[in-house]
Amino acid sequence: MAITNLPKNPEIHRIPQPKFIDAIRWLSSPSPFQKSFITSLYDSDYHTPSLEIHSLDPSKTLTTALFSWTPPSRISSLKSTPSLFAASTFLGSLHIFKTPEEMSVLGNDMSDLGSKTSDMEPVVSVVGREFHVGSVGGVDLMEGGSECVTVGEDGRVNLVVERGDFRRVFDENGLVSYSAVKWASPAEFVTGGCGFGLQWWDLRQSSAAVAQFKGNWDHGTTSGIIHSIDINPSRKHTCLAGGSSGTVFAWDLRRPQEPIILSSIGSSDTMTHPLSESEVWEVQYDCYTNSLNSNISSSRILPAMICSEDGILAVIGQGEEPTELLAEPCAINSFDIDNQNPSDVICSLEWESIVILSRP
Amino acid sequence: MYIGLVWLVVRFRNWHLDGYISDEIFSLIKVKSNQADSSASASGGALSQEFCFEWDHVMEYSKDIKELLGNPKSNYDPLIEDPKEVLNKGEEPTSLKAAWELMEMFYADKLCQSWFPERLVDWLADYDCLLSGDQPTVHSKLVDFQGTLVTLQVIEDDPKYWEVISSALAIGWLEIVVKLLRLHGSYQLDQLGHRETENGLVETVAVLISMMPRMRLELKNGKLGECFEAKPDFMKAWEKWREQITKLDSSAFWVPCHHRQTREGLKNLIQIMLGNTKILCTATDHWIELYISHFLFIRPFTVGFEGMYNLAQKCIQMKPMSSPHKLLRLIIGIIGENTEVVLAECSRGFGPWMVAHAIELLTARSDLADILLHKEHDDIGGISMEELHRLVYAQVLTSHFLTWQIAPVYLTSCMKQGMSLLEFLLYRQPAQHNQLLLKNLEICRLYDLDHVSSNIMKIAGVYHWKHGRKGLGVFWLQQARDEFLLNKIARQLFDSVGKSISSESFKQWEGLIELLGSESKPAGSLEFLHKYRDFKKSLQQACDRKTLDAAQHAADSLMSLMKNPSTPQRFWLPLLYDSLTLLSWPARPLLNVSQTNLLLNKLQELSMASVRPGFVASDLPAEALNSVRLALATNLGRAILEEQ
Amino acid sequence: MEKSVATLDEGTTCTSWNYCGQRLATGSFNGFLSIFDSPDPASSSFTATSKIRIHEGGIVKIVWIPPEYGDAVACICGDGSLSLWEEIAEDGQPLQWKLCETFRSKGSTVLEAQFGVIRTSLKMVVAYSDGHVKVYELLDPFELKNWQLQAEIQNVIDSVSTFGKASCFSASISWNPQLNESQEPSFVLGFNSDTPQLNSSKVWVFDQAHHRWLPVAELALPLDKSDQVFAVAWAPNIGRAYELIAVATHKGITIWHVRLNPDLDGRLSLKKAALLSGYEGEVWQMEWDMSGMTLATSGTDGMIRLWQSNLNGVWLEQAAFEPTP
Repeated sequence: MAITNLPKNPEIHRIPQPKFIDAIRWLSSPSPFQKSFITSLYDSDYHTPSLEIHSLDPSKTLTTALFSWTPPSRISSLKSTPSLFAASTFLGSLHIFKTPEEMSVLGNDMSDLGSKTSDMEPVVSVVGREFHVGSVGGVDLMEGGSECVTVGEDGRVNLVVERGDFRRVFDENGLVSYSAVKWASPAEFVTGGCGFGLQWWDLRQSSAAVAQFKGNWDHGTTSGIIHSIDINPSRKHTCLAGGSSGTVFAWDLRRPQEPIILSSIGSSDTMTHPLSESEVWEVQYDCYTNSLNSNISSSRILPAMICSEDGILAVIGQGEEPTELLAEPCAINSFDIDNQNPSDVICSLEWESIVILSRP
Repeated sequence: MYIGLVWLVVRFRNWHLDGYISDEIFSLIKVKSNQADSSASASGGALSQEFCFEWDHVMEYSKDIKELLGNPKSNYDPLIEDPKEVLNKGEEPTSLKAAWELMEMFYADKLCQSWFPERLVDWLADYDCLLSGDQPTVHSKLVDFQGTLVTLQVIEDDPKYWEVISSALAIGWLEIVVKLLRLHGSYQLDQLGHRETENGLVETVAVLISMMPRMRLELKNGKLGECFEAKPDFMKAWEKWREQITKLDSSAFWVPCHHRQTREGLKNLIQIMLGNTKILCTATDHWIELYISHFLFIRPFTVGFEGMYNLAQKCIQMKPMSSPHKLLRLIIGIIGENTEVVLAECSRGFGPWMVAHAIELLTARSDLADILLHKEHDDIGGISMEELHRLVYAQVLTSHFLTWQIAPVYLTSCMKQGMSLLEFLLYRQPAQHNQLLLKNLEICRLYDLDHVSSNIMKIAGVYHWKHGRKGLGVFWLQQARDEFLLNKIARQLFDSVGKSISSESFKQWEGLIELLGSESKPAGSLEFLHKYRDFKKSLQQACDRKTLDAAQHAADSLMSLMKNPSTPQRFWLPLLYDSLTLLSWPARPLLNVSQTNLLLNKLQELSMASVRPGFVASDLPAEALNSVRLALATNLGRAILEEQ
Repeated sequence: MEKSVATLDEGTTCTSWNYCGQRLATGSFNGFLSIFDSPDPASSSFTATSKIRIHEGGIVKIVWIPPEYGDAVACICGDGSLSLWEEIAEDGQPLQWKLCETFRSKGSTVLEAQFGVIRTSLKMVVAYSDGHVKVYELLDPFELKNWQLQAEIQNVIDSVSTFGKASCFSASISWNPQLNESQEPSFVLGFNSDTPQLNSSKVWVFDQAHHRWLPVAELALPLDKSDQVFAVAWAPNIGRAYELIAVATHKGITIWHVRLNPDLDGRLSLKKAALLSGYEGEVWQMEWDMSGMTLATSGTDGMIRLWQSNLNGVWLEQAAFEPTP
């Protein structure tokens, strides 16, 4: 159903893992041959969650755990920037780590590594009922920014500074539950929650959302939860959101009541055949496809990659046929495009394996 | 005819489940649609074509499963470079794979029919390593011997050497035999001089062995023997071969062979090749090894299950075992042609996965088995054995959180009881974590289980509501389209109407109204609540700013509320009481004559209604009514004055 | 292959799992209600998260209320009262267990209570020690406080005769765990009392037309009608033409096939499918698995047994465990 625009097929490597993978992100690495990534795992045999940094061997067939940490409960959200990464948990705590600098593996022969996994400790941990009650739905860090924003199921929006203090930006007392957040600039961010609702916040202005969007374009017949938001640094006024029922849309702050729907089921007239009919877990702008098609006008939505519950990993663009990269029999729960090398994509499958795609 | 089934490619995974299931669990289901048309049974040609088609499906299915079960390098690899190494140090195969191959061999592989004995020879070559339990096997003896091989000086002096060679020969591992023979000391360059005859004998035996005729289609690369497809050709070759052996046996070259062990050892090998039962019995350990040796050296033409079964019984008698290995029990069941025993052994020895998947192979072979397995049993609710085993396997899958998502695939292929069990299964999943809930709802969506999904959503909605997350609660109840509960919530909001509540509570109250939405309901209660909320807000603004505009706006809001038929009567007085400040606005009357009259009429209506039974009085202070009446009257006066 | 899932406090007298097996409620001899939770749905180790004193005396039985109405339990206490407790976070307060309602009856004690969800209402059947059985209905789904008495019945087929003060030692109720809403709600009820007519298990079905509960079947052979019933269990029906109900008396466990659709005579067809025996003592607790294929029983001999039917309909004991001390 999708016509691939790529001249060659991407290289796909599958690496089975012994534990269930909740989320996965690339970490910045000094050399393209020694890639590493951070992953939050859950061991179903011992019922313990863990947060681990793995290195990937050059042949992309083996991963080795370099560092690990046991969080107080399962990780609900994971984000990484070149120098830091943050993980939030279902119990309502946040932990920020410094990306370890020394991650090179001694020697090239992975098989006789023998070195045990080192422990890593967070530089900042925020816990307690004051912070969040219940699960933290989303967390985001900005490279160069000084604060980490967290949003929770309890309707609270908090900002955490480096030393571990936090301030409450907003507390809806449970009337809203947030499930995603993304920084737009050092002072603005976007949150998303139920009913395909998005809120734009500006910290320089009032402490309530400055703009809101309620996603009921087809009169509430399809409603859902937003799972992921992405904002392109070059187009800060537009954000991309993905959520339930295969819905992916863009919200332009300049035209707040006219969302641009890229994919959706239901009676929309934009797509005759939706790319996915189930939850879109993550969306990310795809700079690789963007760089290939250089003729995208500034008014069009940039191409973005999505992963979904029905096992689709695809690149979707406004007014174009989507390009399917993977169609797995199980859900793809999480993915990340390598900022340093956007042709590489890592994703985690429901059935305890990691897939690495290298686009030509 | 076969019932149409749709299989779905799922996955491959290998792990332990702590005693729930034996050893490993794999699951594979393949997307195929069965195109068997029952009308094709009309013509014979089409019938055979259809059977071929079905057989193709089954073989492909079987091959897929075998691939999943792992492809370890066979321990028995004739191409090992190192002369001192006879066995591969590969990964040990699993008994599950061994069992599956047996099932495929006997039930699904139509090509195999004529070559069962040779096929069993190959099978034993791959899986003899699994059979060593209490008793030694040829494989275990070889492994032990290989360990000592490095240290042996004069290899042909060791009796174990000859023992191992004869055992290997007995079960047809010709390449190992020849390789071992060529390790004989007489081949060494410094020995060749004075051990010529000996060497000649060893070499002749080796050559004879490598030329052994085999009743089979082909041999893999590097394997020894000559293949013959047709019986007459084989017979001729067999007789010739036997002649050569007998000639060697009675030749004069044995006399100058001084090395006793060599002479005896080689003679032993010759006896094996001539089919000497006693020697064969000594050379083998397990009955299955003896069984195989019969096929190779005594009765290469054994066909038909009856013949095979009788031979097997004879071998068992010659080599009784106290606790036979599960694979051997399975073999007896298979060649005994007893479907129920086969199923029982699969279940007992290999677990529910094996039974659930092997049934497909069992039904491929015989109509009898097909009928047996598809017969509906009233005593278990009218399901067939096939369905029963699939249900059992699905329940096994549901016991572990990593595998329960695969269970729906099996359950939906169970025609009678699968869907209901799936419903119960989904209903029993926790609904508290959003991500898990969404995944469960996806399963409901895939299988059209709308009532289950609305039930689960209702549970989630009530859970979140009661845990203080009203937003999520309302969201899930709206997704569940549970009008009943949403109405209840709306009714709760009515309690706050007409009462003075703190601004915090008002915000909550307001937020809830927002959540409940205004369009999704057929007017009525929510419309009123929205209007009331707007009115309260504008009233607040009027009181705050004290401007005429704000006050007018609030007054208009009040009028729209009072005129609206959806405003319940019991709120009229509270509304008017709330708006006392508006009614007595100092600057100018905010309501004109007709508006004031309307309100006064409403008050009158209210007073009349209050004497009727069933009237619920609002809990306002007693003088509320009078204050309102007074204010309205005053307003009326002012309004009349203004209009003049 | 045993694995410890939770360690209960000393003095625990009764336990109950919630509908999805994620929470365990336990009651102690001195009136403490403890709730055990697992940190993650995938985990199978439970730790105590709440402990409250709900009564001066002991707690005899705990029953979870169906999840459509919240996280709540009904506790039958030693003094014969029935109290409903709910875990709720109200108006900015933290999550805590609160008492919703208490049911007391003068002169009789509560023996057993079970809940059934019928379309949009929650019904509770309570059996008392004087042989009376009351069916309550919850009016407001958000408040577990407002219950209305819907019916009062006596466990007899012939409704004409009434019994004065019966003296019942225990009662057993099991609702039909149906997911199909088109079927009328039904439950099976049996007593262990000194009044023979009350004892045998009867299937009660709600007659929508006349708005009352009717006993439609008696699960006992004529000779066994006065046998005291220790436990009853109704199996989930995943597609059988009949309902499967297990009844435990001193003679053993009887498995009944009941067809709830009346035949041409207007009567329901009953069949005694099996009598399970061969164990010591009496069976006091029985539970069916999700598919209704396996029955687990436990009793005074301290053993847990699993029973299954083979292809010919013969019920056999498949396994017996003795819990390790």
